[in-house]
Amino acid sequence: MSFEMWAEKYRPKRLDDMVDQKEIIERLKSFVKAKNVPHCIFAGPPGTGKTTAALCLARDFYGEGYREHLMELNASDERGIDVVRETVKTFARSRSIGEIPFKILILDEADNMTSDAQQALRRTMERYTETCRFIMCANYSGKIIEPIQSRCAPFRFTFLPQEEHDKYVKHIADCENVQLLPDGAEAIFEVCGGDLRKAINTLQSAASVNKPVDAKLVYSITGRASPADVQKMLTTAIKGDFLGARKQLRDMIQKYGVAGSDIIRQIHTEIFKAAEIPEPWKIKLADIAGEIDYRLVEGSDEEVQLSALLARLVEAGYEIKK
Amino acid sequence: MPFLYAAWTVKYKPASTAEIVGNTEAIKTFSDWVNSWSKGVPKKRAAFLYGPPGVGKTVTVEALANDLHMELVEKNASDYRTEDAINRFAGLASQYGSLFGVKRVVLLDELDGLTGNADKGGVKAITEIVKTAQCPVILIANNAYDPRFTNLRNYCLLIVFKKPPAGEVMKHLKRICVREEIQADDNALKFIAQRSEGDVRSAVNDLQALSQGKKRLTYDDVSWLGYRDRQENIFNVLKMVIYGRTSWGAKQAVDMADVDINMLFEWIYENVPAHFTDPHDLAQAMDALSMADVYRGRIRSTRDWSFTRYVIDYMTAGVAMARQYSKVHGWIPFKFPSRIMMLSRSKAERAMQSRIGFKIRRKCHISAARASKEVLPYLKIIFKNNANMAAGIAKWLDLDADMVAYLVGNKEKAKPIVAFLR
Repeated sequence: MSFEMWAEKYRPKRLDDMVDQKEIIERLKSFVKAKNVPHCIFAGPPGTGKTTAALCLARDFYGEGYREHLMELNASDERGIDVVRETVKTFARSRSIGEIPFKILILDEADNMTSDAQQALRRTMERYTETCRFIMCANYSGKIIEPIQSRCAPFRFTFLPQEEHDKYVKHIADCENVQLLPDGAEAIFEVCGGDLRKAINTLQSAASVNKPVDAKLVYSITGRASPADVQKMLTTAIKGDFLGARKQLRDMIQKYGVAGSDIIRQIHTEIFKAAEIPEPWKIKLADIAGEIDYRLVEGSDEEVQLSALLARLVEAGYEIKK
Repeated sequence: MPFLYAAWTVKYKPASTAEIVGNTEAIKTFSDWVNSWSKGVPKKRAAFLYGPPGVGKTVTVEALANDLHMELVEKNASDYRTEDAINRFAGLASQYGSLFGVKRVVLLDELDGLTGNADKGGVKAITEIVKTAQCPVILIANNAYDPRFTNLRNYCLLIVFKKPPAGEVMKHLKRICVREEIQADDNALKFIAQRSEGDVRSAVNDLQALSQGKKRLTYDDVSWLGYRDRQENIFNVLKMVIYGRTSWGAKQAVDMADVDINMLFEWIYENVPAHFTDPHDLAQAMDALSMADVYRGRIRSTRDWSFTRYVIDYMTAGVAMARQYSKVHGWIPFKFPSRIMMLSRSKAERAMQSRIGFKIRRKCHISAARASKEVLPYLKIIFKNNANMAAGIAKWLDLDADMVAYLVGNKEKAKPIVAFLR
């Protein structure tokens, strides 16, 4: 019996264990060799190894007792300015005992910090550089204020390519004695788009059914978030049924907790696949999707932003019919 | 696209005085007076029914006319401004029996609608007619003690209608629920009844808006009404925004609204699609809402509330100015923001999700917020399908019995897993 979430059980422990993101890993390894690391920003989509890389880096630096030299904060849960003033400062200013003279603070989901808190953080980073190095993990580096960005070495994480993804998912399936069929792995990649955490969670929940994992099972598990749904919503909108499309969108977001960024990514893909959209329209719609994607970063409400996109699709459908 | 629905206030309008909620005494006085006409013209030839909105004044007249098989001629007072119209009204009131032997009552509703000096003559003319009426004349207003009616009052039997107690209103709501085959919790109906403050009409409207198309109505479905003001207010505000002709006028709506800006945003966001029928207009209006939301995001990230003015600009003027081609035929009702209802219904559920999220966070290097969104759905699948794996994970995450039951979705089936935890 497995006692953990596999996503944790198979989280790489050392930089050497990590799959993909080769250039990033090489640079991080050179930091370990030099026994020094600058402040870093790890930016990139979810499930691409940002937090893992930060944890591996710490372990490679300090060995198994790395916990003593490391603090992990999650900005989504503690994003106020008080946390920066109190918790972060207290940790950052005390000197580390041991071979490495600084500690590491991982600030996860840093793009969810208020800009006030970021301003406060900027001074802390400056003052305590000697005793503490910051690694900020974020989906969008654009949400991190300019002055912090300029103090950090940027690392851009990307979704895993299918080959690497399949290799890793198969590796876990083998270790857990799960029969993963090739079309199952393919389906996982299609649904999760290279987000490894999501992929492993999908694999584990599919495996919980105690059947060979094939595409059908994967789609039924993630049925609500599967590409077909976004496709359906797109068709509904193009046909002119805005309220119907908005209802589908709302279900996706509220009932099934699909992230807005995932939905827009799928819409973008679907626009180019959809046969009912005339070719010259595709780039126009992609432009609109891009604009809304950008607003999504700035806005506060995924449904509102995405339904503005749906309204544009309804408009396009109307024009196309003319 | 206009979708008409039968308003429950009409569908369940009492057909007989026996079905009217509250005001038993007033109804008795009124019906005695109408009956007294059969024995000859009484001293007071008009009855003046007054009281707050929605307590059943007009309904009483209609139901009584129905009970007594009388012909009811119903007019709105504000139509009687011209001499011509007043003469027609005088003609109506001068005869008790109609051609076919059916007795007639004349109802002049909404006397409050006569306003200012322009209508002063109107009240005077009505007074003259009342003095000589040959059939029961019924006048209705919210406030009979308006100075304009001083003289008119002398010729009328004054009957006050009071707000019925919440218990009575609740009984009425219950009857409707039975006929609509809705299973409603008592405390939900009680909440609606109390909020209506004796306005039966608005209580019924609320009930319809909250429960139509549902099989069950719970307290959670209605409790969010707590921060909604009376719908008259919000409907007027929405009209100003959605049908506003000037930017300035649309912007004024915010000052009139008794709800906060985010709630007003929800109202507008909910109602824009049905009222902007042209696809270009709709896209434009939704774009304005999207931009309003972008500014909300900017407020959030900068903590600078002065950006609120741009949120307002976009959500009011931006929406109003989107109207170019849309023509709306007929009456489209404004709807409650269903998204908020959905959110409040799942409030308890979200609290549970967040508690589990914090447990996941401790183990999985992910924020509680993201964990409850991204990991929890998978846990649910695992817990439903595989008790062994579930038990292991439950122990690893240190979940309590409630959390396990929530993830399994069934208390009975959760038992073996909970037993394993102990």
